[in-house]
Amino acid sequence: MTTVAEPTTNEKQASRIRQSARLGEWLVLYAVSILGAILISALLVTATGGEWQSVVTALLDGSMRNPGRWGETLGAAAPLLLVALGTVISSRAGLVNIGQEGQLAVGAAFATYFGFLIGGPGPLNLLVLLTFGAIGGALWAGIAALLRFWRGVPEVLSTLLLVAVAGQAVAYGLRWQWLLLAPSASRGNRNQVSEQLSPDRRLPNQVIFGNSFPISVYLAVIIALVVAFLLARSIWGFRLKMLGRNPRAAQHAGVSQNRYGSTALMIGGAFAGLAGAAMLAGGGFAFGNFQLVPGFSANIGWTGLLVALVARERALVCIPVALVFASLRTGSGFVASTGVEGRITDVIQGLLVLALLVPPAVMFIRDRRRARAATTART
Amino acid sequence: MGFFEALVDIFTSESTYINGALFAALLLFAATGEWVAERAGTINISVEGMLLSGAFTTAVGYDLTQSAVLAILAGICGGLIVAFLQAEMSHRLSADQFVVGLTLNILVLGLTGFLDREIDPQTKVVDTWEIPILSDIPLIGQALFGQPWPFYLLYVLVPVSAWLVYRTRFGLDVRAAGENPQSADVSGIDVNKRRRQAIYYAGFTSGLGGAFLILVQVGQFEDSIVGGRGFIAIAAVIFGGWTIRGTIAGCILFAGALSFRLSIQGLGYQLNSELLQSLPFLVTIVGMAFFAHRVRPPAALAQPFVRGLK
Amino acid sequence: MTDNEQWLSGAGEWSFSPAPIVELRGITKRFGAVVACDDVDLSLFPGQIHGILGENGAGKSTLMKILIGLVLPDSGSITIEGTSCTIHDPRDAADHGIGMVHQHFSLVEPLTVWENVALGDGGKLNPDEIRNRIGELGEEYGLIIDPDARVEDLTAGLRQRVEIIKCLRRDPTVLIFDEPTSVLTPDESQQLFKSLRTMVASEGKSVVLVSHKLDEVLTTTDDVTIMRQGRVVDQMDTSETNAPALARSMVGREVSLRAGRAALGHIELDIKAETASETETVTEPVLTITNAKASGSSGQRLLDDLTLEVRAGEIVGVAGVEGNGQRPLADLLSSLLPLDSGTVAVNGEPVSSSSPGAMSRAGIGVIPEDRHDSGVVLEMTVAENLVLVDPQRVAQHGIIDHKALTRFAEEMIRDFGIQCSGPNAPLWSLSGGNQQRVVLARELADHPKVLVAAQPTRGLDVGAIEYMTDRIREAAAAGVAVLLISSELEEILDVADRIVVMSGHRIVGETPRLGVDLEYLGLLMGGAAV
Repeated sequence: MTTVAEPTTNEKQASRIRQSARLGEWLVLYAVSILGAILISALLVTATGGEWQSVVTALLDGSMRNPGRWGETLGAAAPLLLVALGTVISSRAGLVNIGQEGQLAVGAAFATYFGFLIGGPGPLNLLVLLTFGAIGGALWAGIAALLRFWRGVPEVLSTLLLVAVAGQAVAYGLRWQWLLLAPSASRGNRNQVSEQLSPDRRLPNQVIFGNSFPISVYLAVIIALVVAFLLARSIWGFRLKMLGRNPRAAQHAGVSQNRYGSTALMIGGAFAGLAGAAMLAGGGFAFGNFQLVPGFSANIGWTGLLVALVARERALVCIPVALVFASLRTGSGFVASTGVEGRITDVIQGLLVLALLVPPAVMFIRDRRRARAATTART
Repeated sequence: MGFFEALVDIFTSESTYINGALFAALLLFAATGEWVAERAGTINISVEGMLLSGAFTTAVGYDLTQSAVLAILAGICGGLIVAFLQAEMSHRLSADQFVVGLTLNILVLGLTGFLDREIDPQTKVVDTWEIPILSDIPLIGQALFGQPWPFYLLYVLVPVSAWLVYRTRFGLDVRAAGENPQSADVSGIDVNKRRRQAIYYAGFTSGLGGAFLILVQVGQFEDSIVGGRGFIAIAAVIFGGWTIRGTIAGCILFAGALSFRLSIQGLGYQLNSELLQSLPFLVTIVGMAFFAHRVRPPAALAQPFVRGLK
Repeated sequence: MTDNEQWLSGAGEWSFSPAPIVELRGITKRFGAVVACDDVDLSLFPGQIHGILGENGAGKSTLMKILIGLVLPDSGSITIEGTSCTIHDPRDAADHGIGMVHQHFSLVEPLTVWENVALGDGGKLNPDEIRNRIGELGEEYGLIIDPDARVEDLTAGLRQRVEIIKCLRRDPTVLIFDEPTSVLTPDESQQLFKSLRTMVASEGKSVVLVSHKLDEVLTTTDDVTIMRQGRVVDQMDTSETNAPALARSMVGREVSLRAGRAALGHIELDIKAETASETETVTEPVLTITNAKASGSSGQRLLDDLTLEVRAGEIVGVAGVEGNGQRPLADLLSSLLPLDSGTVAVNGEPVSSSSPGAMSRAGIGVIPEDRHDSGVVLEMTVAENLVLVDPQRVAQHGIIDHKALTRFAEEMIRDFGIQCSGPNAPLWSLSGGNQQRVVLARELADHPKVLVAAQPTRGLDVGAIEYMTDRIREAAAAGVAVLLISSELEEILDVADRIVVMSGHRIVGETPRLGVDLEYLGLLMGGAAV
């Protein structure tokens, strides 16, 4: 057993050098990974007869440079951020919720149904709409929570399978007027659409320099700040982390896995549902015409999940990541005009996420090796 | 028309069994490999992407060579590519296996969708082989012994997989890695290597599954052709309590739910299509709700292994 | 101790052995700034039992891991039967004829005995051949076992048999035993040492016995190597030394064997005088467990009708061979094991066994056997780990006050002498002993009515053990009801006021420490009906 002496100035200096070397390692790893992903994407475009330069131009034009585009990008980033924040909360508790796409759809459906059912004056109705969106998403995630903590079904699988069910359930609801379908006067024949939200029930838009975006953008950022604060400072966040890192220690300390786990999972669902409701009431380029249609969630749930994965459980990091992914999304519409299939952005997105997984994994191994070296030597 | 009449019609119609067998076969191709991977300790959700990738490379392979055998080999390669990424990232770099799997699924979905529009490979269903005598068995004869020939690969694959896991050195190592990686490591087994190999095996069988999907079941590649059936295959493994028999039973049950839609429409009954489409997923969820807590998973399932930790 | 002389005379015959089988020269291994092995030389001769004695953390485990290929040395050479070689992994080691019986086993519980024995071999799997071999080895060494039994159904003693057979099957020339007696009853230990002697005497194998127990090394080995802080400090023939000398060179200072006896595994029974002042005052029990029954996920029995009482200020030692329900007992008192039937009560108030944290709220503090399992969260900071159970003490309106947290943590770090770079150091950066102090500090900070200490000194060095033992005594002196669960009989004899014995997942007997009968205790531990 070697006793640890007080660090000397030399050691302090050495540790500072080690830390900056570590930072350097991180930067190099990230740079190499991201470059790799971009390179592969470019190769893919070139191999299928496209020009990668024009794809880049189109992406930039579509997401930022053309008039009104960055407003669209912000509008698309808001639900992504909401979904990602919910995911951060459930994964903090050690749960793998990958059913946001379905929770979002159910949230939007709940918002539609209860919005029209309860009615009331515009702003109040908007509040009802958002609330029930969150409730819908939470209940849908609640099914997975129930299965997990009552029947022992892994939440990875139940949330995933429930995505498929949610899509069909919403489409089913859109067949019946007593559920979600709009009255026949306001729709074309056999179209599965809900009634459109009247203008006073939509989310107000903010217009800056010809870019307009719904105020859900502000809402999402505020929520991100609140979530970050609660996770870092509250007892609740403390207990969630305990549960996620060592469930048995948590149970000994009085953190009920059933209660905290279910809550975390349901809050994750609620955020996805809220995103769905906000998309419904926000409208705009990406999310249609203030009415519910089959396939309404449009991959926002999946992409939001990817945002959370890339941000690795850090609420504030989700903000820039959501912006990047939203840019890819709004830019993809412009790519098609270059003669390259628009789905290349899905590929870029996938490669980018995959590339971003590499540096933390490599660093984890290195850190663990160092940590292990330190502990095995001492115990 | 009554509900029970409809049920009787369904259970006495040969096409029900033929469709059921096709769906069950697809699930089994994927589930067999997934079973091996899970016995080694990985919940390999990229099995969905492996199926899709395998299906696409099969289509391309067939389009290029017009040979079913070469197309199947191409399909295996397609499955193995995804397996390579999953295995290396989750069991060499130790990235989270779910995160990797999920990302791969999304990537493969985008990539095959993109390439399908760029290449648009042309394929068709391959020849049927009627096994004499056996294919004349009423009701199930055609379903089990009158299928296009890649179907019969299953009759080799499943017993071989069972033999591999229960009777060979590889299988013993795999089971040890899934139950107690620390002990396996100390005994001289390279745990992560075995886990990678098990994932490769899943890639291999799922690649076959993808080939089956193109050359037997559908005949043409379509965007997102797998449609979540990889996930149902995972559920079948859990439902089956990580035994090969249980997995087969799970595949048959879930395939029944999948083929129910085709059967009921084929017989002229009308039922809401959304409900029918979600039926297999609902059955899967309910099935797991009943059985998941009764079975014991491999003790180290979904837990990464890093030597010296713990 | 009558066997002592016998073994020693046996050792004499073998001490003229010629060339060593294995020779380690200048082995050095660093982990970061810490040197685990520092220029270690070691020679293993055929036909001898070599003792490697050292405190926990002295480097003996690392040295053995190097020998079986789990750790690669930074420098130094390994020569096996005259040829220099490198050992990359356990299979390599097996090829060179080196096998190890691990302290915590290398068995996979759901597999059968023969499958476990075959684990890690190369080549084709041949069940019948392995079954036969298990039979042969069993007869040869008196290690009979059913090859088709599932390991999870076996007792710890039988599991060790499997472990030994697994090792012997590869026909090793060098066999390493790492703390083999920690899972055995005294009787089983004697049997094991007889088997060892057979291996050495009849086949010229070389056996290495890694231990921190003086008595064991003295009675069993032919020569002994003593390690301290990664270095070999002494090498001698066992016949030329005695307990005080060994203890001195092991710890590096003069130790009174009395104070350090728990740590050094040395039993002296002249404790009556010391405890004579004890008076039998019967107070109401603080902790009462009545007819507790619990079972595991696959239906196996974990607690079988266990009844136990602990009074205020009393230290009750739970003795017993590992795997007889000690872990479930600690789990029960940590709110980790719900009961099928039976009750737990603190001061007469029943406590729910199924509600998370209920035991802790009722005033039961626990130092768990494996702190990484339920005691700490490695990824969290020292400060956070100090308030795991009761974050409210540093929070207002549900928000943690970081200043208060730091203040509290600094206070605890000072009071309990926790060595760390500060309250915000991640817990994994601490040594095992200091992690243990974090747990101790936290569990005592709430002024518990009951303190459960499960194997509290395992893996600690002598200084840390003394500290831990003192703290436990202090707690009892302050009126806490202490339950000490330990598989080290020496520790229990040293600390406990009253001793109960666990066997077959229940309490099978009880004896006051005063006038304890070791033989009777051994019988109880072995599960004999008394």
